[in-house]
Amino acid sequence: MIKIENLSVAFGDTKAVQNVNIELAKGEILGVVGESGSGKSVTALTLMGLEARDADITSGRVLFDEVVLAEAGQAKDRALYRRYQGERMSMIFQEPMTSLNPTKRVGIQVEEMLKLHTDLTAAERRARVLESFADVGLRDGEQLYDCYPHQLSGGMRQRVMIAMAVILHPDLIIADEPTTALDVTIQNQIIALLREINAKEKNAMLFITHDLNLARRICHRVAVMKDGRVVEIGPTEEIFANPREEYTKKLIQAVPSRIKRKCSEADGHQGSEKRTSPVVEVHDLNVYYREGTNNLFGRAKKHCVVFNADFKLYQGEVLGLVGESGCGKSSLSKAILGMNKEIEGTVSHFSARPQMIFQDPYSSLNPCKTVGWLLEEPLRAAGRLDKSLQMSKRDMQEAACDMLKKIGLDESYLHRTPSQLSGGQRQRISIGQALITRPGLVIADEPVSALDVTLQAQIMELMKKLQEEMGVAYLFISHDINVVYRMSDRIMVMKDGRIIEQGRTEDVFANPREEYTKLLLRES
Amino acid sequence: MVRQKEIDTRKGKLHGRNLYLMVGLFMTGMALLVAIVGVFWTPYSTTAMSATERFAPPSLRHLFGTDNFGRDIFSRVMKGAGTTILISGLVVLMSGTLGIVIGALTGYFGGLLDEIVMRFTDAVNGFPSILLALVMISLLGSGRHNLILSLGIVFTPSFVRIVRSEFIRLRDADYIDRARLMGVGRMRILFVHILPNIFSTFWVSVMIGFNNGILAESGMSYLGIGVLPPDASLGNMLSDAQGYLMKAPWYALAPGLSIVWIVLGFSLLSEGIRQMEGKN
Repeated sequence: MIKIENLSVAFGDTKAVQNVNIELAKGEILGVVGESGSGKSVTALTLMGLEARDADITSGRVLFDEVVLAEAGQAKDRALYRRYQGERMSMIFQEPMTSLNPTKRVGIQVEEMLKLHTDLTAAERRARVLESFADVGLRDGEQLYDCYPHQLSGGMRQRVMIAMAVILHPDLIIADEPTTALDVTIQNQIIALLREINAKEKNAMLFITHDLNLARRICHRVAVMKDGRVVEIGPTEEIFANPREEYTKKLIQAVPSRIKRKCSEADGHQGSEKRTSPVVEVHDLNVYYREGTNNLFGRAKKHCVVFNADFKLYQGEVLGLVGESGCGKSSLSKAILGMNKEIEGTVSHFSARPQMIFQDPYSSLNPCKTVGWLLEEPLRAAGRLDKSLQMSKRDMQEAACDMLKKIGLDESYLHRTPSQLSGGQRQRISIGQALITRPGLVIADEPVSALDVTLQAQIMELMKKLQEEMGVAYLFISHDINVVYRMSDRIMVMKDGRIIEQGRTEDVFANPREEYTKLLLRES
Repeated sequence: MVRQKEIDTRKGKLHGRNLYLMVGLFMTGMALLVAIVGVFWTPYSTTAMSATERFAPPSLRHLFGTDNFGRDIFSRVMKGAGTTILISGLVVLMSGTLGIVIGALTGYFGGLLDEIVMRFTDAVNGFPSILLALVMISLLGSGRHNLILSLGIVFTPSFVRIVRSEFIRLRDADYIDRARLMGVGRMRILFVHILPNIFSTFWVSVMIGFNNGILAESGMSYLGIGVLPPDASLGNMLSDAQGYLMKAPWYALAPGLSIVWIVLGFSLLSEGIRQMEGKN
């Protein structure tokens, strides 16, 4: 039904997509998998006719039911596209937060599709919208109709987006990372919903993702993209069973799985032997979140976000903390580090200056400093606080160079600024910055969640390696139980502000006590 | 928004070159050159009068003609432009520095001090700036030092607001949180970690402030409460010239067009710089 023939798209001199051939039949779900920058989104946007203004189709064409929608060298036929966009093909975006208009009620936004493409009366339109809400599993449609996007949760917003995309029963749905911004449990619901829609409506779906595991669960066929080319395409299970390309193999291996851990366990350490003395003890900790502190006359309201946290973290140990976003993981970590002072209970540190690694590599380095400066700054700060730790300029430079080597970069990076680094490289620098003063404890808050799978594996390996070399303890926070599994000696599961389960990683995985833990394990 | 910006950017480009920057540099460069030369040398003394050469039209002998006392207008424009640029520069330096210090402290620490300063700047912003400066002058007395002081104070709130909002935006950035964890001192966080990040925003407002300074100085001197005769400034020259608009139009045109030249030059320059940074 859809045919992309020999398509190449370029931005000026950069070739984003090169000679891509993709065919998509009715009722089929095709996964397009690749790291960010591999050209998968550009391909989809070109198919949809939404490519950026400075994108040029340099070769090939796009066919929809034998009609040429776009062709190299031809001016774009906007009128033709408008007949297809929305009505016959629609798109679901990654970020449900920004793809809905925040100033309009969601019902109106969905209804607009009908207004533009059908002649239904107002009452009919409303009925159709409510019907589509029900179709995508949104209850209380009547109430929802008048809600603004900010009143809905991420999962609900994504459902509204899907309702908008399917309300006209299009022949093609393009889903661009539709679940990346969502929690695991909600991810699964959305995937199930998309599969159900596909089965019912028999439309074609182009499912774009960086997560091979996800593609495996929904797609009939998978196309693997790298540097703008399709390197491999075929039925999903075949690709997983017999990947032909090196790159595909690498992608499959990089997916954190529970089997991998067993091998590294065999040649390594026994978790229990590491139990020496604690680096941090948290006793009966409640953490509060204050609302409206910026108001002179308003009284601040306090919410309790973490209840009765109680645990110890030992020297050289990795303690995993897993839970959905909003469960209080980050609040707990900030409370431990003293960044949130609204607490009850005690936090006792037995090491100086614990450090933190954040999720977003783009905001955790000061953009107007060089890598060298960034790595030296912790040493300077330490020297200023404690004269005995003061180092000469030369020593600091040497320490920075040493650390660069340890994190797998060379000295040529010393004079670069963060904007000249990739996400993975930035995260390496963050890790180096956290570890250069040899702290006893580092809290890593979703350190790999913003990275591609292959990078995730590299960064986790690096963190493991440095931990063994330097004997630092990690509190490793993630929403991805597989990632936590791979890193941690012990594991804590958090839900709605409470730590509901903790124990040795193997024990928790083998015999989860709580229903919620079982759910997490099943769904990952 | 993004598209609009793209189009705007393209308009100022000729074959990929930054036209704003080139023209802006040329105009401000000329203005500064003339002003700086004027400090050391002018074709005639700015105060030398000549009864025989009153209201001489522009000629090779007197490029911009002469005024009602037979003084050479070109020489006076050279001196006057220098005075105006210097005053405006000092005003921006003073209000910019105050703005950085106050804005950084209030933005970063917030709290009661912030609230008080903000309500105060709200009050100041409620009045037209020229009117406020007039009040200040009437309290302090006229003259160029008091002019700089009062314009400096009047201009400060706008800088405070810009710096403050940038500090509020950045004080909770992840990298600032991490700096705190490293044990970096507060003042170092303020001025070493955060401040360099706001310069690109700050620079644009300095340029705008400078232009406003030129206009404000000219306005005040025109009203006779800024730079006092016989010293030349573009403003008081305009004021002197208005009586002879018909008789000697060049008398008013010379300082007037100079003001336009300088202000336009700086506007283009700041736009050019903004584009250059946008490109990086």
